[in-house]
Amino acid sequence: MPSLTIDGREVSVPDGTTVIQAAEQLGIFIPRYCYHPALSVAGNCRICLVEIEKSPKLQIACNTFVNEGMVVHTGSEEVESGRRMVLEFLLANHPLDCPVCDQSGECDLQNFYMNFGLYNPRFREHKVKKQKAVQVGPHVMLDQERCILCSRCVRFTDEITETGEFGIFNRGNRAELGVYPGTELDNPYSGNVVDICPVGALTEREFRFQARVWYLSSASTVCNGCSRGCNIDMHYVLDRPHLNQGKRVMRVKPRYHGDVNEWWLCDEGRFGFGWLDEGRLEAVRGPTEDASWEHALNVIAKLMQEKRVGVIASTQLTNEELFLIREIFPDARVTASVPERPGSSDDFLIKPDKTPNTRGAALLGLAGPNAPDAEDIVDEAIAKKLDVLWIMGHDLVDLFGAEKARELSESVELLVFSGTNESPTAELAHWVLPTASYVEKDGTFVNCDGRVQRIGQAFPPLADSREDWRVLLDLARLAGPSLEWSSPAEVFRELSEAEGAFANMSYETISDQGALIPSAKPTEAAS
Amino acid sequence: MKLSDLEGQAAEILRRYEYPKAAMLPLLWLVQENQGYVSSEAEAWVSRQLGVAIAKVREVVSFYTMFHTQPVGRRELRVCTSPPCVLRGANALLEQIKDRLDISPGETTPDGAVTLTQVECLCACEMAPMVQVDERFVGPIEGEVLDQVIGDALSAPGAPESAPEPDPYICSDGPVLSSRFGDPDGCWFDAFVAQGGYEAARRVLESMTPADVIAEVSKPNLRGLGGAGFPAGRKWSFIPKTTQPKYLVVNADEGEPGTFKDRYIMERDPHNLLEGMIIAAFAIGSHKAYVYIRGEYFRSAHRMQRAIDEAHARNWLGKDIQGTGFDLEVVVHRGAGAYICGEETALLTSLEGGKGSPRLKPPFPAISGLFSCPTIVNNVETLACVPFIMRNGADRFAEIGTQRQGGTRLFCVSGHVVRPGVYEASVGVTLRELIESEEYAGGVRDGNELKAVVPGGISAKILTADEIDVPMDFDSLKAAGTMAGSGGVIVMDETTCMVKALDAASTFFADESCGQCSPCREGTAWVHDILRRILAGQGKLEDLDDLLGVAGGMEGMTICVFAEAAAWPVQSYILKFRDEFEQYIRAGGSADREAAECQA
Repeated sequence: MPSLTIDGREVSVPDGTTVIQAAEQLGIFIPRYCYHPALSVAGNCRICLVEIEKSPKLQIACNTFVNEGMVVHTGSEEVESGRRMVLEFLLANHPLDCPVCDQSGECDLQNFYMNFGLYNPRFREHKVKKQKAVQVGPHVMLDQERCILCSRCVRFTDEITETGEFGIFNRGNRAELGVYPGTELDNPYSGNVVDICPVGALTEREFRFQARVWYLSSASTVCNGCSRGCNIDMHYVLDRPHLNQGKRVMRVKPRYHGDVNEWWLCDEGRFGFGWLDEGRLEAVRGPTEDASWEHALNVIAKLMQEKRVGVIASTQLTNEELFLIREIFPDARVTASVPERPGSSDDFLIKPDKTPNTRGAALLGLAGPNAPDAEDIVDEAIAKKLDVLWIMGHDLVDLFGAEKARELSESVELLVFSGTNESPTAELAHWVLPTASYVEKDGTFVNCDGRVQRIGQAFPPLADSREDWRVLLDLARLAGPSLEWSSPAEVFRELSEAEGAFANMSYETISDQGALIPSAKPTEAAS
Repeated sequence: MKLSDLEGQAAEILRRYEYPKAAMLPLLWLVQENQGYVSSEAEAWVSRQLGVAIAKVREVVSFYTMFHTQPVGRRELRVCTSPPCVLRGANALLEQIKDRLDISPGETTPDGAVTLTQVECLCACEMAPMVQVDERFVGPIEGEVLDQVIGDALSAPGAPESAPEPDPYICSDGPVLSSRFGDPDGCWFDAFVAQGGYEAARRVLESMTPADVIAEVSKPNLRGLGGAGFPAGRKWSFIPKTTQPKYLVVNADEGEPGTFKDRYIMERDPHNLLEGMIIAAFAIGSHKAYVYIRGEYFRSAHRMQRAIDEAHARNWLGKDIQGTGFDLEVVVHRGAGAYICGEETALLTSLEGGKGSPRLKPPFPAISGLFSCPTIVNNVETLACVPFIMRNGADRFAEIGTQRQGGTRLFCVSGHVVRPGVYEASVGVTLRELIESEEYAGGVRDGNELKAVVPGGISAKILTADEIDVPMDFDSLKAAGTMAGSGGVIVMDETTCMVKALDAASTFFADESCGQCSPCREGTAWVHDILRRILAGQGKLEDLDDLLGVAGGMEGMTICVFAEAAAWPVQSYILKFRDEFEQYIRAGGSADREAAECQA
């Protein structure tokens, strides 16, 4: 463990650590373009210059390994002038089209110029012209003039996806980033190149010209697209309805988690958020025009006390909600075990189970080998062994066919559908309850590796939709057993006491890193 | 020939390499030689043969200047417009050729006969101004030779050439490097052996240990003669004693403007180089060597290959050499037009099938080089000194040179001298002797005054006429504020316009920057743009400080030393000839400008 001094502060780091990493441990930020912790070191941008005592010239912090007794200065006059010069080189041919660049506001050319540049430009020559607004793939736009050739994206496609779509063609100041003519950047992780691009060279097609980034709010959550549970930030706008046709969610960005998704997110998770603002159920629908939550809950509460009830819950629901279902319907036929067709998968992030909480449902006994099968419950209902059936989010038409779904709706006394979006099953239900999407509520999921992760609440439920947990608690108040809890956090406290797998966990201990259930072995989530 | 017909040859090429991707350049050459250019179908074919993404093939095709991506003429006429050729009228020559062929560089005559290409230094500065017709160097192009070259370029490939073989002045005095240069046909195996060739290698293989060899080479201070001057024996001693494969790579990517020595060794004494390679490979424990020869040196590659084939046939290469139990295979690997590949790590990246991008150090090649194995990269001339040392002893080699650098060098003298050529001399010879002595270049041409000299290839800082009483060894020239570099001495007489001379150098560096590091990619082009503006009469006096600022910003700020090489001419030309630059700028676009210009 060599010890070194950076800006007068001492730190001990393992052998093989680079200066840029050691500085990070002290909270000292050294600017970087080409350096990315997930990628091989390229050392080409030269912005991470530092002064190392006894070294004749400035060194790049990304490729300088620490030595015992090394003394590093990251802000000396020499360093500052070196960085300024590098910035002047990088900006010499930069088009400075910030007013029409989506990166503006989160661009490291802007940021570092303001922090480390502020020189008077000397470049008086004609800028090199290259191609702009090139669509390189279904999700990514390329502007060759803005590109600083840091090669992060090239290394991403070479080293992470190993698909090799990107290349830097030609040489000298004619060098330009591109894909081979006639090919596309179309691997399932293509959107990540936009995140790692430190400038506006690679931007998202979907987000193109939708909003200036400084209008975006951000909330941490967990992707519900598959059982991996990638950590994400949801970027949204609530107060500028003139943007993005009034839709709230603008884009999704991966949030680093070393054991889940590292820096990455698949395109399905990144771009599959349209349903959060489109085709939503916004109001309670029932047999009469004046259907309301109160009316619906009273009907359900009454019948569930008197009749034989079945609940087909969902692995899209949180642990808290599944736990409430179990508590509220102790005598009902309940399952979250629904025969969803497995989707695409790979050995990186994408899992075939396209729901986020199968493992949580299994821990609560609502999925897995001991849970009843959803189709059996449907068949029981058709056979009139059940009077009430509550479908949570599933489309029975898709699962079991239109005929069976219709037969079901005609067989049972009460068919309730709760969910976020319109579906053919909603058309068949007697009561339709609009519920909150996962970003509109708090709670936890358990991912495929047994990590309990909190989803948080980004913004309130849309229109008259309500969180499932709130609906369930309201119902409990009407139909007993009376439950004293009033928030997901309180429900989770009870859950952790009741279920060994969650023992000693709380929202505080789960924090933003999640917590592993005891039986979960440590796994390499994404390497 | 169809691509599918090349698959047998491709498979054979692939077998030479440890990793398929390393066959990138040979396969692209194979395609171009058979189809005239590298089509997109051919890129896809190469990508399949090597199992690499097609974007990686395009990266390589677009990086090197010798690959054509469009059909070209039956022949190619390359005109060198690098500084040494420019000093001897290359710009005017290019204009004449453009007029005669009625096409511009990059174009093909309408009848499809010839494609005209303007190229950076072909390292044939002794025959400046010069051109290359397909594989053949011709020069100096003056008088009727121009007609002959145009005639050759327009004739069918394979027709008898009418332009004469170049006949430059070549020293063959030896004793270390050049004694066989006089007779181009006197260097083949039997003649070489008759003169005691391979005896040094025999003695080494039969009776010495690798440590003995390293000690013997270290003793007289054999320095790396590619330009850096690093002690060769010390470099060899860095090879770890592990069981990994080790590689010897010969840097024959001669490219520094003003330098043309390695070509003579490969063309006129290839067995001497091979003998040096056998000894070096034995010293570092390598059984596989690559000779990376710049793409434009077709003849060097052919002659090296012939020597390798001869040596194989006589068991001086291959398995169990001369019954000593030592194995060595040698592969000739051809570049494709990129000066930067002379930088040793760029050379390795190129040899592995990538663009010629220099690598970060550490790790140094001796620890992790070719295919991530311990590798020694040595210049041709360095290795060619080794047989002499082992044959005649370290003391003999040491006594020819100076105390801190043994032996001789092949000094390449070009520019405004009476006899441009390659001269072997002790490393202690002075720059003045090389230029003025009748034994060497014979003085400045036409009785003109000497104005400036670049002593070690275009990257070296320039010296003025009163700074030439300096010995040519590495340490003396370093002390004089410049460098011995590649031994390329470029002489400029009083008629030289320093603005134009610097412009020619800056064009070279802007063309040849690999583009990897921001300061070099942007800085070389920026310098070039400013100089072009000054030449166009749009200069401002503050441009000179900007040039120095940009050069200073490149220096020491990049992965390799190319940026320094590009910065040093800028700094030294302006420092030493500032008045001339200011005068040029002041004259600007006015009528005085022509008067202010010297005639280059």
